Amino acid sequence: MKSFFRMTYPYILWIGIFIVAPMLMILLYAVTRSGNSTLTFQFTLDNFAKFFSDPDFMKVLWTSLRIAFITTVFCILIGYPAALFIANLSERTQTLMVLLLTLPMWINMLLKTYAWRGILMNFDMESEVKVFIGMVYDFLPYMIIQIHTAIAKLDRELLTASYDLGANKWQSFLKVTLPLSVPGIISGITLVFLPAVSSFVIPKLLGGGNYVLIGNLIEKYFLVAGDWNFGSAISLIMALIIIGSMWLTKKIDRNAEEE
Amino acid sequence: MKKILSVLLILALAAGLLLTSALGEETEDFGGVTLNVFNWGEYIDSDMSVIRNFEKKYNCRVNYKTYESNEILYTQIIAGDSWDILVPSDYMIERLIREKKLQPIDKSIVTNLDLLADGVKNLDFDPDNTYMVPYLWQTVGIVYDTTKIDPEKVEEKGWRIFQDPEYAGHTYMYDSERDAFMIAFKSLGYSANTENEDEIMAAYEWLLEMNSAVHPSYVTDEVIDAMAEGYKWLALVYSGDAAYILSENEDMAYCTPKEGTNVAVDAMVIPANATNPRLANLFIKYILDYDASLEISEDVGYASANAEVLAELSGPGGTYEGNAAYVPRGGYELDEFYHDNEVLRTRLSDLWFKVMSAN
Amino acid sequence: MEKKKSFWNFFTSGYLILVLLFIYLPILYVMVFSFNDSKSMTSFEGFSLQWYENMFNNREMLESIKTTVLVAVIATVVSTVMGTVAAIGLSKAKRIVRSIVLEINNLPVLNPDIVTAISLMLLFLSLKIRRSLVTLTLSHITFCIPYVILTVLPKLRQLDDNVAEAALDLGATPWKALTKVIIPQIYPAIFSGALIAFSMSFDDFVISFFTSGVDVQNISMYVYSMKRFNPSVNALSTLIVIVVTVILIMANLIPYLKDKKTNKGEQET
Repeated sequence: MKSFFRMTYPYILWIGIFIVAPMLMILLYAVTRSGNSTLTFQFTLDNFAKFFSDPDFMKVLWTSLRIAFITTVFCILIGYPAALFIANLSERTQTLMVLLLTLPMWINMLLKTYAWRGILMNFDMESEVKVFIGMVYDFLPYMIIQIHTAIAKLDRELLTASYDLGANKWQSFLKVTLPLSVPGIISGITLVFLPAVSSFVIPKLLGGGNYVLIGNLIEKYFLVAGDWNFGSAISLIMALIIIGSMWLTKKIDRNAEEE
Repeated sequence: MKKILSVLLILALAAGLLLTSALGEETEDFGGVTLNVFNWGEYIDSDMSVIRNFEKKYNCRVNYKTYESNEILYTQIIAGDSWDILVPSDYMIERLIREKKLQPIDKSIVTNLDLLADGVKNLDFDPDNTYMVPYLWQTVGIVYDTTKIDPEKVEEKGWRIFQDPEYAGHTYMYDSERDAFMIAFKSLGYSANTENEDEIMAAYEWLLEMNSAVHPSYVTDEVIDAMAEGYKWLALVYSGDAAYILSENEDMAYCTPKEGTNVAVDAMVIPANATNPRLANLFIKYILDYDASLEISEDVGYASANAEVLAELSGPGGTYEGNAAYVPRGGYELDEFYHDNEVLRTRLSDLWFKVMSAN
Repeated sequence: MEKKKSFWNFFTSGYLILVLLFIYLPILYVMVFSFNDSKSMTSFEGFSLQWYENMFNNREMLESIKTTVLVAVIATVVSTVMGTVAAIGLSKAKRIVRSIVLEINNLPVLNPDIVTAISLMLLFLSLKIRRSLVTLTLSHITFCIPYVILTVLPKLRQLDDNVAEAALDLGATPWKALTKVIIPQIYPAIFSGALIAFSMSFDDFVISFFTSGVDVQNISMYVYSMKRFNPSVNALSTLIVIVVTVILIMANLIPYLKDKKTNKGEQET
């Protein structure tokens, strides 16, 4: 199977240049302080010390993780049945449904959020509810598409087999469909949870300006304060925390796989 | 009488035009070169006829791109982009001059600097207009709903109105550390540019008190439409945006508190690495002239840098007649420009998010 | 039994219609307000076509559409091909290699856009590459590939390894095994991955802003730098939705009509 692994070489080269090298520069900024010139770097861990010595930074990160987590849970709860039902349609209708789900993603997110603000203005509800409506709205298509992709096509043949073996609908779902959809759910979580942690425009516009989120903070340190060093440090801390939690999820996935 | 005067004026202008074109100045043909203009978003007349006319006049192509903050603009400059015209604010111009990133205005081309309004003449960061020519200007003030709040009360309390629990849940605060700290500094009688740690901490306490008293919604540009629709009673707003709000909603009024405020001037500058400095200078002259200035200021609602336009738009029959927010308060001794200060900027960012998340 | 089945069908299609309604509600709202007489996004004050007129007169906005579509198409094609190929390779890789590459692959997804944007800008600056439409496209490819891989890889993990191996044993070249055996089985995933990549590219603002040059502007850059909301953007979005819908209808109708035609042809002969 070595010949197959060779297929990853172009991509590994690509991420080396366009992801790893740029991130090393962010790392460089995170562990230095800005001198008078952008070319001189002095090593320091002050940026990290600053983050961890002020509990308010952790509070902001925690709020962001909480919102992202709840958003992800709702996306699974609403998206899973949708993906399942789509997978039961005829092949052509399935393609059409996937297209219909992606089309709204081409419309500017800011614009759609403005529209939600106009719509939700007519309803008297907690601003947090509005934030979750907006967040779930924005991320739901990713979740549905990922789960649907995992259970489409393969699912049916196996299901027929399991019916043939005398399993009822519920049993076949538990024994066949659900395990098959786990990689799709994991992918869905990746595509929803990870970007949701650092997104802030929707909570800002729908939450009545009452949320300070980590994405907002990072952008401010880069663009308002002009402190790239601290901005880089916060984003690295956030990335490490998320990668850690994803690693845990994967471990659970692997255990499930081995069962 | 007025009509005759304007006819005479037009004739004189036409004669002047003919004369100058005879001298080969105004009809210069740039053979389709591109002028790269980088301006704030929605900061020009909405059908961009000002730009289209300039293109026709000089047979050039204007590449017009927009940004949303001075800091983003700065990042693009240090990234080495070569622009011909930028429109940064005062403190950013101060920084660009210090870092030698601008080239002097060619005053043999920009011959109309005498058109500048009093409020934007002799500005301390560039008193002789060596590097910049003002574009639009503004102050920071309070927009409030007169059906809910007594104007006398606003005048009397000034910035402290943002600490009045009576307006809890009915207030917008601009999510900008510099502006929020400015009102706290001014309310406490300090300079908006103070670096004194005790004063900064006192302002921080002032803002925390504001946060717990009125629980404001922290917003940015969405405040403009929200106040025009009258969703809340009280908001911190830039005067140019306030002029728009007041023209959309007659219940709204504008107040520039007596404790002093920030005056901000956005001005045209030519970067040192501009590729078309000559055309850029012609552009600056063209924009400052009456016609373009009128179109831009009328459409955008920010105060024009052109004295005549400012007077006309706010005068009898003008679009902003009786609009208290259109003409910024000029020459008031407690009003200040911001100065560029990196340490202060980071310090305010560190504290500001704590105010916003203190709920 | 029949009754139960039809109830179930009724329930599932009802659910899907509700989901579609939820997803299209703000789109419909935008479309309605593109005809609003005022600038407001909350109160409708009469019918007007002024924002359409405004849009068609706005050269900058029209040019931004061209840039957006061009970049999105190139980024989608390149990222889908490279991402699919990489995903197939990764699915056969050792677990440790795969998880390291995937962790790196996740970085653009989890990093705030501003971090990806600044880091790519720094890369281009340090390589002394002038930022332009090219760097913009390279950046879009970079943040699109992870989405393709994350969509295609789960499907590959379901594939029976033996099928590809059997094909190889039977003398198929790896290329043949790939195109005749693997790709057909994961085709729906590649399609979904491409769609997501296209959407990501189409709607990106921050990364585009920092990785493009002086003379490049896409729709999002235009929308986000608006200080005061310009409803021409509503008109523009309505136009996009209508154009895409027409394309979708045609794409679904043409094979249908073709079927009919060939059926007819067969009957005639």
